Amino acid sequence: MIRRSPATALIALLVLVFLYAPLVVVIIYSFNTARYGAEWHGFTVDWYLRLIHNDPAIAATINTIELACTSTFFSVLLGSILAYGMSRYEFPFKRLFHHVLHVPVFIPDIVMAVALLLFFAVLRKWLAGFELGMTTMTLAHITFQIPFIAIVVRARMADCDPQLEEAAADLGAGPWLTFRHITFPLMVPGIVAGGLLAFTLSLDDFVVSFFTSGPGSTTLPILIYSSVKRGLTPDINAIASLIVIVSALTVVTVAWLRGRTEVKT
Amino acid sequence: MAEPTGQTAFKRRRRIRRTVHFGEPLPPGAHTFRAAWLCGPALVWVTMFMLVPLLFVVALSFAQRGDAGEIVWRFTWENYERLFGHGSLGFDPVQPLILARSLGVGFATAGLCLLIGLPVAFFIASLPRRWKSVALTLVVIPFWTNLLIRTYAWQLLLSPEGWLADILTTAGMIPAGTALYPGWPAVMVAMVCDYLPFMILPLYASVEKLDWLLAEAAADLGASPGRMFWHAVVPQIRPGMIAGGVLVFLPATGQFVIPDLLGGAKLALLGNAVQQQFGSSRDWPFGSAIAVVALLVMVAGLWLHTRVTNGRREVSLP
Amino acid sequence: MRIFLMLLALLGAGPAPAAEEFACKVTVDVYEDAESMLAKLQGGGTALYDLMVPPDHLVPTMVKLQLLTPLRRTNLPNFQNLDAKFTNPPYDRGNQFSVPYQWGTVGILVRPAPGKPVAETWGLVFDAKQQPGKFVLIDSVRDCLGAALKFKGHSLNSTEIPHLKEARDLVIEAKRRATGFDGSVGAKNKVVGKSAGAAIVYSGEAARAMTDDASLHYVIPREGSQMWVDNLCIPAKAPHRELAEKFINYVLDAKVGARLSNFLQFATPNAAARPFIKPEDLKNPAIYPPADVMAKLEFLEDLGAKTKLYDEAWTQVKAR
Repeated sequence: MIRRSPATALIALLVLVFLYAPLVVVIIYSFNTARYGAEWHGFTVDWYLRLIHNDPAIAATINTIELACTSTFFSVLLGSILAYGMSRYEFPFKRLFHHVLHVPVFIPDIVMAVALLLFFAVLRKWLAGFELGMTTMTLAHITFQIPFIAIVVRARMADCDPQLEEAAADLGAGPWLTFRHITFPLMVPGIVAGGLLAFTLSLDDFVVSFFTSGPGSTTLPILIYSSVKRGLTPDINAIASLIVIVSALTVVTVAWLRGRTEVKT
Repeated sequence: MAEPTGQTAFKRRRRIRRTVHFGEPLPPGAHTFRAAWLCGPALVWVTMFMLVPLLFVVALSFAQRGDAGEIVWRFTWENYERLFGHGSLGFDPVQPLILARSLGVGFATAGLCLLIGLPVAFFIASLPRRWKSVALTLVVIPFWTNLLIRTYAWQLLLSPEGWLADILTTAGMIPAGTALYPGWPAVMVAMVCDYLPFMILPLYASVEKLDWLLAEAAADLGASPGRMFWHAVVPQIRPGMIAGGVLVFLPATGQFVIPDLLGGAKLALLGNAVQQQFGSSRDWPFGSAIAVVALLVMVAGLWLHTRVTNGRREVSLP
Repeated sequence: MRIFLMLLALLGAGPAPAAEEFACKVTVDVYEDAESMLAKLQGGGTALYDLMVPPDHLVPTMVKLQLLTPLRRTNLPNFQNLDAKFTNPPYDRGNQFSVPYQWGTVGILVRPAPGKPVAETWGLVFDAKQQPGKFVLIDSVRDCLGAALKFKGHSLNSTEIPHLKEARDLVIEAKRRATGFDGSVGAKNKVVGKSAGAAIVYSGEAARAMTDDASLHYVIPREGSQMWVDNLCIPAKAPHRELAEKFINYVLDAKVGARLSNFLQFATPNAAARPFIKPEDLKNPAIYPPADVMAKLEFLEDLGAKTKLYDEAWTQVKAR
């Protein structure tokens, strides 16, 4: 057992303040009446009410969610099957592919962004349909999501006791029945966690989206970036606060669900 | 983010699996066949949309920029010569400077995160089981919140009319109206704040598994607390330190948003240099050459990371 | 039906009234600097936008890169409304690809210290002794280096390496004292929001800032400055060429042109629109500079292969 010391407790508390100060400050400023700058002028909820009529913000929200849902759907499908295949079967060059999968995880966003920009530009010369927009953004997002899902699902599968499947087989279940009733249910928590991670990564992504987006496919991070660059921020504070709250609620829910399942097993 | 396979367990089972695989008899060839169907689509996808584009980048770094900013596919070393400082305005060490600065920022961020993250990891590991998950959730929430928003928030916090400036002015530490951003301190503060969770999580995973008997034995044998920590604790948590370090170092080196928003577009890192060449300068070949440098940094980090985490599991997110 | 506009930040809110009259949905993408807009167009924007607004010095490059569609004059009867001074410009002889839209200048927006006259010089940013507190530099290659060249008494279009080195070092030195680089709109908002005392901006931003806050002042430095013309152009593969031409013709209408200029507070190249421009804007020297100032203004030229020199100087400015 590790001894608790007041010094580490104090540092941990300060770190907590440090990590949460930015989140809290955005929420506080979203109630500020000032149009420009960071001076506190007074309390208002106007910026939230104005969001209802803010067409670019609404369009960006719809784009963001549509992009995150579509890309997460495909990446969960591809990534989970990949994780299953990689944790169950041996094949030539497996280690090489294993490293290849880590490339999108570690690559600097900006390098991935320009590589895809270039790739789509070259593709466009030969094939129609790679115009910058939702399609190219979805392709890009799926690419960086697949490895994260595969990693999370594989981690989950490594935790599962293979004897469960062997027992099912010994009891006469065929491969499909075994998968359907034993393996798949064991994978589900990993798939859910991986899917949520992928979904958040898509919501968060700014750099790759910025380079692969076209007109009419502006997402919230792109909108936030261009507004911050132009110094027009009151509406952005309100949007950002909503995003912060939704993200926090998601994490808490996931943690709570995990807590419940852990108690059960 | 995690290297998940129980490699050792796998190797132990390998002999059995050749004949009976998870209760199902399988000839060796069938492995490859099934794997091709299961792993094929995703691996082809990643190859097509990640590796092939990167090969294009490498190829483009040897091409030329035309007078109007178009790409001319004629082989040249010019872009790499420019990386070493040769240019039309004469020698200027600006590109090596950007690389050195990016690496410096990466190391500094990783170092600061390690310094701050260690006590936090120890503290979380010392908590009762129930509170551990609460603490981990608290660390994870900022990690799941948009990085752009957190970076922008530091603009608000550090602006001359912000509260932090007010407090410091009242305390007499800075003259009134001093802007705390844009500048290096602001960039570093945001970097550490944004990447700290990447350090705390793997560190915690290592600390959690720590064998305290070793430390106690060292203390019994008369080691000072410092020596005990260095010789009995650090070697045990080194994998977590390196994994966390790589996870912080790599994204920090390639950052483009933080220096842009908090450095006032004044302090260029590798990421900003790439963005500028692909953006307003419209020199894609030279931008590609800078991207290749960023890739090499990544490969080095990746190599270190796989060496350290091979066969080990880290904490999974969230 | 959709029509995409690709507009510079200079245009702010863009021509919103058009939507009703054309029964189409307008999407506007705003770029902070002209070169970034060109980069996006080159990176695959030609088939995505129906209309764009590049500044004069980029038009030749765009023509060379085959990014533009020729304009069919028969579809633009309102072309005759334009002031003869602005037609048949050196950057696009015969207005084959472009139609002038708004013009303006580059200068400094200052919040003067009470009771002190403002020195009309680039020294406000390039000379530490004259600096009025913190200031913002413009995040645009030619505008920023051009200002430095002017301060040193050189042409905006100088391609002499010593001149460029001088300008580069000047901007690097200024950058150490500045709060940073920003687009014109962002810079203006910093001055209005009081986080900076001065900023290099375009005339329209300055005029709008002064309408909001009368204590602000716009300076066109006596060393001379830049005059620019923004143009309406149609990208090479625009999906709705007819509609775009119809739209350009609409913008060239006297009353519509006046409404745009009254909103944007840039100067109009449209002779027929002048009677409808707000009289106080016509008298505003920040929008329509007097003749003696005009005489010191210079246009940016397309520098062809020498553009590279500016890009390198700019890379060094940004990285130091």
